[in-house]
Amino acid sequence: MVSTEQKLQLLKSGKLSAVDNVKQFLSAIDKDDQKGKNINAFLELNKNILEEAKRVDEKIKKDKAGKLAGLVISVKSNINTLGMKATCASKVLDNYQSTYDAAVIEKIRAEDGLIIGMTNMDEFACGGSGETSAFGPTKNPASLERITGGSSSGAAASVAAGFCDLALGSDTGGSIRNPASHCGVVGIKPSYGLVSRYGLIDLSMSLDQIGPLSQDVFGSTLLLSVIAGKDDRDAISQQSKSIEYSKLDSGNKIIVGRLKIKDIDSKIQKLIDVRVEEASKKYGWKIKDIDLSFVDLAIQTYYLLVYVEFFSGTRRFDGRRYGGKIEEACGPEVLRRILGGSEITKAEYGGKYYDRALKAKQLIADAFAKAFKDVDCIVMPTVPKLPHNIGEKISVESMYAYDALTIPANLAGCCALSLPAGKIDGVPVGLQLMSDKFEEQTMLSIASMIEKLG
Amino acid sequence: MSYLWHQVSEEEREEIRKEAKRILDDFSKKLASLKLKDVVLQDKENLGRIEGSGTTPDSGFKERMFANAPNKNKDAILAEKKKW
Repeated sequence: MVSTEQKLQLLKSGKLSAVDNVKQFLSAIDKDDQKGKNINAFLELNKNILEEAKRVDEKIKKDKAGKLAGLVISVKSNINTLGMKATCASKVLDNYQSTYDAAVIEKIRAEDGLIIGMTNMDEFACGGSGETSAFGPTKNPASLERITGGSSSGAAASVAAGFCDLALGSDTGGSIRNPASHCGVVGIKPSYGLVSRYGLIDLSMSLDQIGPLSQDVFGSTLLLSVIAGKDDRDAISQQSKSIEYSKLDSGNKIIVGRLKIKDIDSKIQKLIDVRVEEASKKYGWKIKDIDLSFVDLAIQTYYLLVYVEFFSGTRRFDGRRYGGKIEEACGPEVLRRILGGSEITKAEYGGKYYDRALKAKQLIADAFAKAFKDVDCIVMPTVPKLPHNIGEKISVESMYAYDALTIPANLAGCCALSLPAGKIDGVPVGLQLMSDKFEEQTMLSIASMIEKLG
Repeated sequence: MSYLWHQVSEEEREEIRKEAKRILDDFSKKLASLKLKDVVLQDKENLGRIEGSGTTPDSGFKERMFANAPNKNKDAILAEKKKW
């Protein structure tokens, strides 16, 4: 398989046409998405993609193509994409056609990326396994009987199965990094405010971010460099340092913070430790063991916030302007969060839930800010355990525990990514890196050097 | 419990409500051990949105928006009183 960097060179040099690139992916999708392996990564394909690819080929010939020049990209079904359905993998929005392009889609189109289709996901991004989709679970291309992780299940699977070059997902508590880890691909949660959420159907607005997935660090860095930037239509978006996909080299003056957390599968922890030691030895990086206060309360903090914000955000799904009434058409996990959020909202006068969680979030953010004064990045596993089999019975608390290591970065607002670190019992395991807010370039450079270890 | 999507029955709905409350109470209790009295929430910069004059949608926007509405009559989206 060629790397994303090599693919881009082939496209820009004309040795591979955008049309042929698209055709290869359409053929792979036809073979294994709804038949063959039945991955079920896509909910809808873009019928106009070959025409769009022809136009990109014309621009490439005239040397006028953008940074993405014919790369093929899948989009999570909670990101509005004109001409396509944004169903959020829910029967509530079964027939909802996007009426406009999200900011990230505008940017991808402007740089000549080709959108191949809308991917499966946990319903309204409520889930960490990919099983809560109303259109059936997505299978993990690396281990077909197991979950992909979620909620960006189709995004990660579409990259891992070789259905596209790049993917867009969204990450509120690990929804990009968790499936990236289970499927063996790279996934980035950008710093809060780096990427505009205009056009994203939100799960929890104080935590949501849109980010890229790809087979390698270069691919995700390239797509992130395209979608990052201030947008007046998203009040929290900020202009930050530019992201240079051609300068991924961190040098040797790196201090890696190693965070040890209890309740992690010992095989997974060992795999990560070996990887970090290898990088340290080869590049001369220093490793510093660190401790982060309150991080063990991240799950509790996160869900108190998410239940309330999700309940509030879903009040617009009342069946008038689009779709059906959410409480009548959604599945159990979405309903759990709506009913729970409603309960909290009624009881909040005592400040027992949301206000308490907001303050706990602040403590966690402060702990991260303090840690990043001493280290360039923090490393740990992305997910504490291997993925379960699709349909396996599991408690709510066990399901929420999948995100124990990814949630802290969302609460702190810092950037984080998952990078393939190896396999256990044939199942991919991700290494998670976190860096301070808007220090994506440092984090991506460190990731690139770890990736080069092979 | 399997996490695969399914239609929720009235009976299950009530179970889900009770379970959600139990989980949230449990989570809230765990946070109660923190000393939060003196925690000051940071003022987020740039949170105030400048509304401006808005943007003008393209000519097809209205048609696309109405196409998504389940019940409509010419230029109006219909919503039955007290049904939402």
